[in-house]
Amino acid sequence: MTMSQATAIASHGVGPHATGHDEPAHHHPIFDYDSGPPVDRAKFAIWLFLATEVMFFTGLIGTYLVLRIGTASWPNPENRLAVGITAANTFLLITSSWTMVRALHAIQKGSQKGLVRWLGCTILGGATFVSVQVFEYLELIHHGALPKVDIFWSTFYTMTGFHGLHVVVGVIWLIAIWISAVRGKFTPQNFLRVELAGLYWHFVDLVWVLLFTIVYLM
Amino acid sequence: MSNDHGNDPASAHSGDHGHTFSANKIFVTLFILTAAEVLWGAFLFKHSGHLVKWGGLIVFAFWKGSLIYTYFMHMKFEGWIVKCLIAPTPILIAVVVFALMPDVSNNDHLVYPVGSQLDKSNQHPGKVVPMENAPKHSESEAAEHP
Repeated sequence: MTMSQATAIASHGVGPHATGHDEPAHHHPIFDYDSGPPVDRAKFAIWLFLATEVMFFTGLIGTYLVLRIGTASWPNPENRLAVGITAANTFLLITSSWTMVRALHAIQKGSQKGLVRWLGCTILGGATFVSVQVFEYLELIHHGALPKVDIFWSTFYTMTGFHGLHVVVGVIWLIAIWISAVRGKFTPQNFLRVELAGLYWHFVDLVWVLLFTIVYLM
Repeated sequence: MSNDHGNDPASAHSGDHGHTFSANKIFVTLFILTAAEVLWGAFLFKHSGHLVKWGGLIVFAFWKGSLIYTYFMHMKFEGWIVKCLIAPTPILIAVVVFALMPDVSNNDHLVYPVGSQLDKSNQHPGKVVPMENAPKHSESEAAEHP
């Protein structure tokens, strides 16, 4: 159908959405073609959102690298941070990403119980990750490592703090999905909300993979 | 949406297009790469130069990131519209990095070089000194060995 034909239908009310004589007239034109992108709108939106998130973290990491390279004496992160514990925490976050894949796979196969179980594992992994990070912060602060002390700590808290905030948002989002899953809201034909939450969760995992390398190992 | 699945219980569906991949294999690969990365950065090349240590770490990080991006986020199986949506992002990242480069390359010529701070020891009141020459705070000394 051409644009002019569609416009004609919209103007004269001919076609499947035509208005009967006894019905009130439409105030807005109704087109019987899809003007949206050739992908689900929600998925399009989440990818657009993730693109902005990439730029957000790029700004943080880019600034960190400038400060890092421009500083004559940058302390060795291993002397200040608990690399071993954080490496274990990284394993945990990667594992939670894997359980998220399994959760999506479960509902695609029609397993409601599988979805609830794997989502629960993902939430548990995310919550544990945040808990370990909070514990790390408390230990550091207890030893006087505050953001105001030097540029190392201010960049450390800024980057890991914003990432931690994203993890918290992800856990809350997954809990909301989990509640819907317990109520049986998802089916093999209707699981888009699980997929969208999963995309966000994998993104959070991806960012941490980069941050762990840059902040803790380099 | 399509409901086409592989027979492998570990295989994961990719969304709208019916492709499958082994989530278990990706997970194990990520696990091994993370272990290798820690081994590389914290043990094997701990005291090596930036080229070797950082170079290896960056390779590991981008390898892992690309696996998550390609399979877990199933970008490999997405349509052209999503790929086009993400395509400008690496270009914008390059712009940000190159825009910040002068701050690094001209660092010696800056009035207030990155990493400098005011001398609080009062030996040079009001002067800007590099971080390594600045007197340490009791807090930062404590933080060196938490």
